[in-house]
Amino acid sequence: MSSDLSEALAEVLTAEYAAIWAYGPIGVRLDDAERKAAVAAEAAHRARRDALVVQLSGDNGSIPPDRAGYALPFPVTDRASALRLAVQVEERTAAFWRAALPVSTGADRDRALAALVEYAVRATRWRRSAGITPLTVPFPGRPA
Amino acid sequence: MVLTCPVAMGRTTRRDETSSLPRRTVLRAGALLAAGGAVAPLTGCGLFDRDEQPPPPDPLAPLLDESLRLAAGLRAAAVIHPDLATRLVPLAESHETHAAELARLTGVATASATPTAAPTDPPSADRSTALAALRQSERAGREAAIAACAAAPTERVALLGSIAAARATHLEALR
Repeated sequence: MSSDLSEALAEVLTAEYAAIWAYGPIGVRLDDAERKAAVAAEAAHRARRDALVVQLSGDNGSIPPDRAGYALPFPVTDRASALRLAVQVEERTAAFWRAALPVSTGADRDRALAALVEYAVRATRWRRSAGITPLTVPFPGRPA
Repeated sequence: MVLTCPVAMGRTTRRDETSSLPRRTVLRAGALLAAGGAVAPLTGCGLFDRDEQPPPPDPLAPLLDESLRLAAGLRAAAVIHPDLATRLVPLAESHETHAAELARLTGVATASATPTAAPTDPPSADRSTALAALRQSERAGREAAIAACAAAPTERVALLGSIAAARATHLEALR
C-alpha cells in the first residue's frame, strides 16, 4: 500500500470512529423506524472501521486511536437536530472516502467508491426523513 | 475536529511532483512543437499534406452525453407530470452541472453534445411508469459512472466518484 493511501485511510478511519460515536446521540432522538435505520447505518460504519483497522495493521502502518468522545457541530436536542446530524455524518464520512479515491487503485478504489456511494445514499434517506429538500447534492463528498 | 471535510492540500502537491515529466523533457517537446509549427507553412499544400485526423474522442464523452440525456429525460417527465417537477428538476440540474464539469474537464463545448441529448422515448403519461423508467435510466447511469471511475486516471477519479454517488442518490430520490 502506498504511503499516500495509508495516510488517506488513516484519515478515513478517524472519520468512521466519529461517525460511530455520533450515532449514539442521534439514535436516542429518533422514532422507531428511523432508529432501525440508524442502527443499520452505524453497523456499516463499524464494519468499515474494522476492515480499515485490519488493513492498516497488516501494512505496519500506524493506526490512529479512537477517542472517548467527539465534539458535535451543533447540539442534538430533538429529532430534527438528530436527523440533521445524521445527514452531516454521512456526507462528511463520504468526503473522507472520496479523498481516498485519487490515491487508490484496483480493489482499494472499488472499496472507497462503494463507501462514497453508500453514504451519499444514506444522506439522501436522512434528508427525506428530515423533510429537507432537495434530497440530493450535485457532488456528494466534494468539499464545499 | 474530526467531523470536518478533508482538504488534502499536501497530498495533491506531492502527487503533482511525482507525476509530472522532467522539466527538460517538457521544454524539448515544446521546442519541437514550435519548430513543427514554423516549418509547416513552408511545405504549403502539396505532397506531404494529409487529411487532418480528428482527435480521438475523450473516454468521458459518453458519460457527458449520458448526463445531458438523463437531464433531458427528467425535464421531459416534469413537463408531463408537473406535480413531480419539484422532485425532478433539481435532479436534472445536477446532471447539467455534471455535464458542464465533464465538458470543462474534457475540453468539449457542452453545446456540441446537446443535439444527441434528446431522450430516446417520450415519458409515459402514467406517473409510476414514468418514474420507473427514470429509475432505470439512473441505475444504468450509476453503473456507467462506477465503471468510468474504476478506469479513470488519478486526476479524474474524485469527480467521477461524486457523479456515480449523485446518480445513486437520484435513484433513491425517485423511489
